[in-house]
Amino acid sequence: MKKQLAFVMAGVMAASMMLTACGGSSSSSEAAGSTAESTGSAAEGEAQGAWAPSKSIDWFCASSPGGGSDIFSRMITDIMTKEGVTSETFLVTNKTDGGGEVVKAQVSETKAGKQADHTLMTFNVGELQPMLLNTDRRIEDFTPIAVMALDKQLLFAGPKSPYQDFQSVIDAIESGKSVNVSGSKGDDEAVYAALLAEMGWTEDQLVYVRHDATSDAITTALGGHSELVIGKPAATSSYVAEGVEASKKLTPVLAFSTERFTGALGEAPILSEVDPNHKDVELPTWRGVCGPKDMSPEAAQFWSDALKKVSETEQWKTEYLEKNQLIGAYMDLEETKEYMTQAQVDYLASIGKAE
Amino acid sequence: MENMQLLFGGFETVFTLQNVSACLLGAVLGLIVGAMPGIGSLAGVALLLPLTYKFDATTAIIMLGSLYYSNMYGGSFSAILLNIPGDSPAIMTSLDGYPMATTRGRPGQALFTANIASFTGGTIGILILTFTGPALADLGLNFGPTEMTALLLVAMTSIGWLVGENPTKGVVLTLFGILMASIGMDTVTGSPRYDFGILQLMGGIPFIPFVIGAVGFAQVIKLMEDRNKVTEGAVTQKLTIRGSLLTRHEVRRLLPPAFRSGVMGTFVGVLPGAGATTGAFLGYAMQKTFKSEEPLGTGAVEGIAACEAANNAAAAGAFAPLLALGIPGSGTGAVLLGGLMMWGLEPGPMLFTNHSDFAWGLIASLYLANLLTLAIALCIIPFLIRILSVPVKYMIPCIVTVCIVGSYSTSNSMYGVIVMFVSGILGYLLDKNGYSTAPMLLAFVLAPLLEKNMRRAFTTSQGDPSVFVDFANHPISAVLMLIFFVIICVPIVKLIIRKVKGSKNTTPAA
Repeated sequence: MKKQLAFVMAGVMAASMMLTACGGSSSSSEAAGSTAESTGSAAEGEAQGAWAPSKSIDWFCASSPGGGSDIFSRMITDIMTKEGVTSETFLVTNKTDGGGEVVKAQVSETKAGKQADHTLMTFNVGELQPMLLNTDRRIEDFTPIAVMALDKQLLFAGPKSPYQDFQSVIDAIESGKSVNVSGSKGDDEAVYAALLAEMGWTEDQLVYVRHDATSDAITTALGGHSELVIGKPAATSSYVAEGVEASKKLTPVLAFSTERFTGALGEAPILSEVDPNHKDVELPTWRGVCGPKDMSPEAAQFWSDALKKVSETEQWKTEYLEKNQLIGAYMDLEETKEYMTQAQVDYLASIGKAE
Repeated sequence: MENMQLLFGGFETVFTLQNVSACLLGAVLGLIVGAMPGIGSLAGVALLLPLTYKFDATTAIIMLGSLYYSNMYGGSFSAILLNIPGDSPAIMTSLDGYPMATTRGRPGQALFTANIASFTGGTIGILILTFTGPALADLGLNFGPTEMTALLLVAMTSIGWLVGENPTKGVVLTLFGILMASIGMDTVTGSPRYDFGILQLMGGIPFIPFVIGAVGFAQVIKLMEDRNKVTEGAVTQKLTIRGSLLTRHEVRRLLPPAFRSGVMGTFVGVLPGAGATTGAFLGYAMQKTFKSEEPLGTGAVEGIAACEAANNAAAAGAFAPLLALGIPGSGTGAVLLGGLMMWGLEPGPMLFTNHSDFAWGLIASLYLANLLTLAIALCIIPFLIRILSVPVKYMIPCIVTVCIVGSYSTSNSMYGVIVMFVSGILGYLLDKNGYSTAPMLLAFVLAPLLEKNMRRAFTTSQGDPSVFVDFANHPISAVLMLIFFVIICVPIVKLIIRKVKGSKNTTPAA
């Protein structure tokens, strides 16, 4: 009996100590937050014993294994583990139910507490747009943590296409022809829409043939079933490289950017170079991370700092950004929130759902 | 002959102790993963991808290649023995495989047929891949949205009369399958359809739980119903390897369909997005037009051989666009591609040029994997068929567990399990009323492909349907459309002729 009582007492004491420790840490992390702001360094928050993960972390990814989002999630968790950001384990879970909407609901509705602080989700523009289109969930239902990278598109001509530069596309459309462009759904299509708006064309003049993935769109273009194809560098650069057989070669004809790309992709002019009367069309897509709405500010700060650390590692720069030709663009909590909210406002306006 | 030289170079790469054991390991794991319903090759490759990080690129991809490949063998095991297709191509296998194993009481022969046909089909596929190499991939490029639409139309119209005795019932279920497939996000514009405000339905009905339910779980309900009737005596033949061997006559019956399907399956595998399921289906459809000794669907050797050979050949054919163009023909291909990139190889049109040792090493490893898998499969058949001698009362809970785990694992959620239970009840009711569920499942697989391609074709042609029969610009499509019209018109014309004859016969009498 006495033994049991002793156990209970010990348990209560331990619990109360943990509680006080937590209380203490939250106040100290606020202080840490302010110092971090003042010095502009993020690493200090950790040094002062702020919030740190105390159980395994659930990292959700709303698309299938092997895709871009999955690689992004696994690369980050891998670097975090290697860099010793935490000794806890990351469990990357791919949940694709309801086109990814189920897991978004689950993450955003995770109730405040330990689980909420240990739940993260890969959140890209490709996650945001369908969510805004089809559900009432908004970015305000999450805690935006970081934007990690930006990605831009290019327009390519297929090997059998009669239009091997953008000027000839303009001429063809102006002379009353219609031109097909294949591409993936989501952000690539948004760039297409922006191009139409800038050029003053209609959807019948430049026709968009939607595919599930850029690789499908490329197949269509290589087979000569569409004249042009939109894609990002990661998926397309191997078709542009030197030495590719002519029948499998894509020619970059336009860069959706305000400056030219580098390397072989640099061949493509930007819109203002093709026709100085037009403005450049640029609609960078982003890859980022979000947590549940109820994630504590301390945990959010911890993850924001941890992701900053990831963004500064050599592995991230060479094995992720460089390899996929992405632009590194780390944003902290404030910037991320602002950026994602702006993306939401823009997209809602573009689909006529403005609030 | 340059290809041969390169292939021998590839064999040199493969025949190191490390690579052969990687290949062996891949083959064993692939068989296990393939035999487990629900896991399938996609999840199998994805799960094992991290395991291979420690290896060098060639070894790793050899292992994954052999894993992917042996999966196609494994999928037929549960289809034949339990009537639960391990993966979607195996739906066709279960049509003849399960009756042969149970009503005909020849499970060993059914498995042998499946494996030898798989081997034959696979070998043909790999040989074609070797000799045509990258050129094979170019063939696939000729199939744009218009051509794919025509091909799928031919496939889908033939489902009804292909499976089961009653074409009307077949058509009803084909249409029902299309209806089920249209739940979820619109494949082109991404807007939700028939989701009734339920978040899960927005993503559609997941295929694997649907199959496991409609075929496997329905089977369980049926077993429960007549558990008292069926005694363990159903399979009393001696289950030894000797008792499972095929007769010479059966081998002779098996080879012609396996050859035909092997060649056709390879080409289907090369087509964008068509994959092994379409291959298996068309193989079976083709066999229907040839003579079989026993009617298809009652446990005919030809039926098993036709679809098993086609799906393995398609799996080999799918490597052509993957290696030559960097374009994955299937979800599994996409994961393999992701693997290639992680090892710093750049998949795409340059792979054969820049990393030829690697590409040919992979092709060589397919030969090895094919042989190894056959050997392993033949060795375990005697043990596998013992499953059928397990009393039904023990079988039921085991199968239910497999069904639940399999359907849970597709999306890591209970939604899959619910879909499985509901479709199980549906499958049972359909079966009870003489409807075969296979047309529904096939339509479910093919309908989204058809829809996607048809809508793309219409977008490209700006709504002009004449592109499908435009012989000048789309000859492939035009020929396929002709076949399509023949398939539709023949029964109608036959009916009219019969009616006319009938009225002639009755007029004098009246």
